[in-house]
Amino acid sequence: MQHFSARYHDGRRSIAHDATLTLRPDHWLIHYQDPSGELTSARWTLPGIVTDENFSDLFIFRYGSFPQQTIECKDRQLPAALTQHYPDRVFFKKGISRLFKLSNTAIAGMAVLVVALLGVAYWYGLPLLASAVASRVPVSAEVEMGDTMYENLLHGYDVDSTLTVKVNDFARSIDFKTRYPIRVTVVREKDANAFALPGGNIVVFDGILRKMKTKEELAALLAHEVSHVHYRHSLRNVLRSLGGYLFLSILLNDINGIVTVLADNSNALANLTYSRELETEADQKAMAIFQSEGLNIKGFVDLFTMLKGEHGDMTNLKLLSTHPLTEDRLRAAEAAVKGQRNVKEDAGLERKWEDIERGYHGDE
Amino acid sequence: MELHQNETRQLSFHGEGAKLFGIYIVNILLTMVTLGIYYPWAKAALLKYMYEESEFEGSRFTFHGTGKEMFKGFIKAIGIFIGLYGILFLAALSRNFTITMLGVAVFYIGLLILVPIAIHGALRYRTSRSSWRGIHFGYRGDRKEFLNMFIVGSLITIFTFGIYGAWFVIEIRKYIFKNLRFGNITFSYEGEGSAFFWMNFKGYLLTVITFGIYFFWWAKELFAYYVDNIRMYQGETRLTFRSTATAGGYFKLIIVNLLIIVLSLGLATPWAIVRAMQFVFNHIHIDGPLDVNAITQTEADYTDATGEDLADMIDIGLV
Repeated sequence: MQHFSARYHDGRRSIAHDATLTLRPDHWLIHYQDPSGELTSARWTLPGIVTDENFSDLFIFRYGSFPQQTIECKDRQLPAALTQHYPDRVFFKKGISRLFKLSNTAIAGMAVLVVALLGVAYWYGLPLLASAVASRVPVSAEVEMGDTMYENLLHGYDVDSTLTVKVNDFARSIDFKTRYPIRVTVVREKDANAFALPGGNIVVFDGILRKMKTKEELAALLAHEVSHVHYRHSLRNVLRSLGGYLFLSILLNDINGIVTVLADNSNALANLTYSRELETEADQKAMAIFQSEGLNIKGFVDLFTMLKGEHGDMTNLKLLSTHPLTEDRLRAAEAAVKGQRNVKEDAGLERKWEDIERGYHGDE
Repeated sequence: MELHQNETRQLSFHGEGAKLFGIYIVNILLTMVTLGIYYPWAKAALLKYMYEESEFEGSRFTFHGTGKEMFKGFIKAIGIFIGLYGILFLAALSRNFTITMLGVAVFYIGLLILVPIAIHGALRYRTSRSSWRGIHFGYRGDRKEFLNMFIVGSLITIFTFGIYGAWFVIEIRKYIFKNLRFGNITFSYEGEGSAFFWMNFKGYLLTVITFGIYFFWWAKELFAYYVDNIRMYQGETRLTFRSTATAGGYFKLIIVNLLIIVLSLGLATPWAIVRAMQFVFNHIHIDGPLDVNAITQTEADYTDATGEDLADMIDIGLV
């Protein structure tokens, strides 16, 4: 017969009784002195005993219905004694709480694992999830969402309505082969930049227009941005950044952050970056448009060269971050030029281009 | 009984940063792996640990809540939130000004109603799941009464540009403490709105003037105003709470904790939490002749945990 010293609470008053716990075949006996000094005992039948899950070396058991009686025991021999006396009954479940009692090395290992998992989830999991979700969003919903973002975004810009009309007219003459309604907006910004929103809105800074020499350069820019729209690159990016914010705010236990994300996200669009794969994909589709339209792919070479020159002497690397221009992209365009056969001169498009050129030279 | 003249008692916190770190890591890992479903269990584990490392008169506190109970609340809370955000999102998508404004209104009115419901629910659940020496805490506030008080108070606060906020906070504290029970022990809060307002007014002004240095004195005063106005009653006996926190103490706590968190890129946050808990417990004294053996069980069982998780979602910190 084994005895253990324990503390007993009767569940009615807050007295901590020093008690002796005796393990009997089908019940526990708890002996203690009540306040008057009389020796009293409590009998706990086995089925009613519940083990408290806890993290320290204190073993706590409860008995009965509310308000429960409790005993606390610090004796480390207790678990072994319990298995010996009651081989059929599991008092300490091998639950998750066991994980908490692991060694420091195991905990440190787990910490490394968590940090690694977070990194993988953020850099690999999110983009995958974003494109999976993006491919399931119907075009109409995407257009609607993109238009809402566009309206929010445009407050920050000064729209050049004359140029907007002209560039839209220009864009309509090219068949971009996409289901999306393409709408271009020209805004007064001196940076050489342009970006696409989900659902077909393209924002072009007049700074980039002014630096173009040929209609093919503009067509190349538009075809490239349309391709981002067509392949839902912007939607994927929006979802990804939304997911990123969500991820961080959940991680930091800040649910309020989600509201901020929904409110501010559209403004972050102008600064989104595409991965190199997405850029290449967009270039390929854009050049395919040029092929079928009979436009000279040299436009891409000129556009990339112009942008390269821009960033060579500019401290503002904004466009560089939006469209990471690499020698590879320039070279790919040059190779495509050599492969092109069917270049046609489109007089109508040329007239529209000249009109655009007159438009911005007019107000200089 | 003259021995009781200078009786004072304190809570003590025995948690260790390393242990707490282990719990955080396991919690984050399992929450991630289960895509968030583990969250209620993670929270139960954390609370259990924090409670069992808190000691009063040689006995530890216990948190009886379970992940399973909180999971039900968690699902309800998520449902409510998805509903509210759904309304807001659809309204924003409509691109019709009236509908958008209507959506925003529904969203904020919804939040205004949810906050007091969350506070009430969380108080009911958390107190009923907390015990010491087998005696349970309890909260006897009435949801309708609290909801009315909260909505009226919020509206007055908005219309007075926040000035009424000080009175509102005190009113809420008074209500909560009035309805708080620990077995047959009752509580009250004796703060006053005007004193609280001027304390904040002065604190804000001096903090701005001194480029933030006064902030530590302000924090100390706020803590003292909270603690010193708590009263505890055991039958005819009145017990008072007393803060011994100093501005210097606050300064050390905040600066060191900031350094710990920033320099470890957040990884050492559990150690900062342990320091903060120790600071709070070390600076609260309970004065008066409390008979720690004579507290009797009075409160009933309560298991609805919806409020607990709603409170989490709206980011209302309890305890």
